[in-house]
Amino acid sequence: MSRTNAEVPYGTLDLLILKTLDTLGSVHGYRIARRIEQVSEEALELSQGSVYPALIRLEQEKWISAKWGISETNRKVKFYSLTAAGKKQLQVEVEKWERTTAFVARFLESEQ
Amino acid sequence: MKRILALFQKRRLDSELDAEIAAHLELSEKESVDAGLSPAEARRAARMRFGGIESVKEQHRDRRSLRGIETFWRDLRHGFTVAARERGFSLIAIGVLALGIGANTAMFSLLDATLLRPLPFPEPERLVRVWEAPEPDRVNTFTTLDFLDWKRLNTVFEGLSVERGVGMALTGEGEPVRLTGRLVSPDYFDVFGVSPALGRGFLPDEEKPGAVPVVVLTSAAWRTQFGSDATVLNRDIELDGQPHTVVGILPPGPFDRDDAAFFKPLIFRPDQMNRGFHWLRSVARMKPGVTIEQAQAEMSAIDVSLNDVTPTWKQDWGVTVEPYDKRLVDDGLRRSIQVAFGAVMLVLLIACANVADLLLAKGATRRREMAVRAALGASRGRLVSQLLTESLALCLVGAIAGVGLAQLLLNLALPLAADALPFTADVGLDLRVLAFSAAATLSVVLLIGLLPSLQASFGKLSQTMSQDSRGASASRERLRRALVVSEVALSLVLLCGSLLLFKSLLQLQHVDLGVRVGEVITMSVDLPPSAYSSPDSARRFYREVVEQLEAVAGVESASLTSDLPLEGVDQGQGLSVPGREGGESVRYKRIDPNYLATLDIPLLAGRNFEQRDAADAPLTALINEELAAALLRDYDMDNPVGQIVEISTPNYENSDGEGANYQVVGIVRSERTEEPAAEQEAVVYVALQQVPQMDARIVVRTAGGAAATMTGIREAIRRVDPNLPIGDVRTMEQIRDRSLRGAQQPTWVIGGFAVVAALLAALGLYGVLAHAVAQQRREIGIRMALGARATDVLQRVLRNGLVLVATGLALGMAATFALTGVVESMLFQVSALDPEVIAVACVSMLIVGLLASYVPARRAASVQPMRVLRDEG
Repeated sequence: MSRTNAEVPYGTLDLLILKTLDTLGSVHGYRIARRIEQVSEEALELSQGSVYPALIRLEQEKWISAKWGISETNRKVKFYSLTAAGKKQLQVEVEKWERTTAFVARFLESEQ
Repeated sequence: MKRILALFQKRRLDSELDAEIAAHLELSEKESVDAGLSPAEARRAARMRFGGIESVKEQHRDRRSLRGIETFWRDLRHGFTVAARERGFSLIAIGVLALGIGANTAMFSLLDATLLRPLPFPEPERLVRVWEAPEPDRVNTFTTLDFLDWKRLNTVFEGLSVERGVGMALTGEGEPVRLTGRLVSPDYFDVFGVSPALGRGFLPDEEKPGAVPVVVLTSAAWRTQFGSDATVLNRDIELDGQPHTVVGILPPGPFDRDDAAFFKPLIFRPDQMNRGFHWLRSVARMKPGVTIEQAQAEMSAIDVSLNDVTPTWKQDWGVTVEPYDKRLVDDGLRRSIQVAFGAVMLVLLIACANVADLLLAKGATRRREMAVRAALGASRGRLVSQLLTESLALCLVGAIAGVGLAQLLLNLALPLAADALPFTADVGLDLRVLAFSAAATLSVVLLIGLLPSLQASFGKLSQTMSQDSRGASASRERLRRALVVSEVALSLVLLCGSLLLFKSLLQLQHVDLGVRVGEVITMSVDLPPSAYSSPDSARRFYREVVEQLEAVAGVESASLTSDLPLEGVDQGQGLSVPGREGGESVRYKRIDPNYLATLDIPLLAGRNFEQRDAADAPLTALINEELAAALLRDYDMDNPVGQIVEISTPNYENSDGEGANYQVVGIVRSERTEEPAAEQEAVVYVALQQVPQMDARIVVRTAGGAAATMTGIREAIRRVDPNLPIGDVRTMEQIRDRSLRGAQQPTWVIGGFAVVAALLAALGLYGVLAHAVAQQRREIGIRMALGARATDVLQRVLRNGLVLVATGLALGMAATFALTGVVESMLFQVSALDPEVIAVACVSMLIVGLLASYVPARRAASVQPMRVLRDEG
């Protein structure tokens, strides 16, 4: 059995999560997953569960920090927020993304 | 770093994730319910949108920690659990592995200590020996003046020291004891890189004539002779009647295994300052960065530069520089160890085949488990690595047990083998040996782990679950049979090898030694120079001691000799015929008139030594058959008796020699001067009364009870000289047994391996056949119901077994033919393809195979057809 094919590779998912936290502030995992689904207008096939592996890595890299809180249904959940280092990393990731898309666009154009 | 920490926080992180997932699903359900779905639909929708929960958990674990180690650890623990569950199987497998790995580890430590890293000294590659070389591939001891010139003129050696064995009497500490020691240069210990643990080594001044006598003891001698008493340091002890100050004690180590108990500075006497007498050996350490070729080149150049002072007859001699370890292990011992190591590796291979076979047998039950895992998402690589790790669990336990077994084997075997090994051999389980053990274990893991995993069917789950046990095991059966066949083949090779060695040993034991062996007792005496400074004093001693000994009750005959049979003749001299060109190199042995009679050596022509061959009479000599034949061949000497020959003759102190004329008065039958397997040498015998020396061996033939007569013998010697210690008391039988030891030990060791190998092969065969019978119970039942008799069934199983054995034998014979060259040099008068041996080996394996097949055959024949047909099989 192969790995769950998230439509979104982890690298890009990291970017989306960091941006989400930048916009929304301190939220829990469910909220992050829903937000990504909504903003992409359901165009992205995201298995919601795939945010969690991404979140633990971002936490280990200290780009996000986690605090335990209570969810709307009275359960313990982690609330994630962007750290200062995370904010900087977000900028780095955005730049990287824009560079890559620009290059790919140029490349595709040149094929014509 | 966080990832490593995550390894240890597994449980916490897992439960945290569980909490998050639970909360996530709840929130998702709530949203769906609020949007109008029923609770049940909401739950389903939540799960679908979430994705695979297990998958997420696994990816979470993946990304947060060092996945490799976690899974490895998990698999290993699982392996231990599985092994513990199947205790019977595991114990057998572990036992077999322990045997294989343990024997290999022990053998490797022997190999490492003697052949691979033989010198336990710092920077051993700089240690060399320097010799005189009469011919390019012969080495010889050298003279005092040559040594002093080499020392003075060389620039390649950090230290060039000499050594010479000596025997001295230790008196004043209880019973007089004869100790073996070594006379050495003051820088001897520096050359080896060994510093005394207590006290100091020698000072340069201590080799000057007239220096205060000093001595350094080995740790072992300090323990045995002085009870490790620290006050011995700087105290005087009495050696050969002279006080010697103990200035140092060596640390425990290689010198304890050597025969020298003490070391004294070698002080050259004026009469030793010549270039005629060759008596010194050297040990040298090259300067850092100097290669052996450079050292050789310089020493050769120095040798040439000394030509104008070298005696003419030695002008074309050269100088050889060789690594110190070159002569530590002779070819015979080297070959024995290599062959034994090869043999033990074969045993390990057979052991692996056995365990792999057992694992394959278990394979059927694992197939379903593997199929289910595959269905759940494990990749083929994952399953293979899992199986490998499980066999690692088994092998780890086997390896640890094996290392314990190795230590046990070494403890048992070393005391027996110690005197066959060079003193430098430090046999033990050090890091290198343990590393080898680990490497061997890993190889075993790979070998036995890969086979079952190759067999595990990763096919469709449904197919696997529905098949009955017989179906797809055909290829596994083939593999198992192949394993058994190879076990039989390897066992045959070992069996042939060991039988050849046994036969060779028997031949050796029957070699005619040319001397009487029963009821003969021998001992050595060293006449201290202080009490026996003149040759006449030694002559008197010899006469009196033989007189006294022959008067002892129980003594039939007593005599003296410079060397005992079977142990080699120390001195070699040049013999030539006056007026003729050329010369022979002969062994030079001194005996008294009683020697031939004591040892029953027949006189073939002429006469024996008599009273008249005394100090001032013309020199006479006896020659052995070999020498007579050589004289005939080289000088056309039909009848040597009566002829005059010139032999270089040593002086009383054995420090110089010059040619003297001897008349040959008799020819004796050749006795075995060296060990039984060696070639006979040309020996010339001279009379002790005419050429006395200061040490001798006493040979006594007794009538009944050599041991009982010993007290009388000691008394007799004490009457002649009460201060003279007697050393090396041994019977001729002990000497003969000792000379055979070099052939005996490898024979028994490899014989042991062959037996183990045959047993393992039998076990393998039994396993395969028993399994086959168990599988075919229904078939057998049907056959018997249809009229087959018990004996038919029995025969079928036996035939099955015999086919396997026969195939194995065929392969084994091919392998044996291919490997003949390996054992050839170890055999004495036995051809490596001896038909008798091969026949016996094959028949033995057949019998073993039959026995192994018997029990399954019986079980097959006792199948009750009705019972089997009633069961579902």
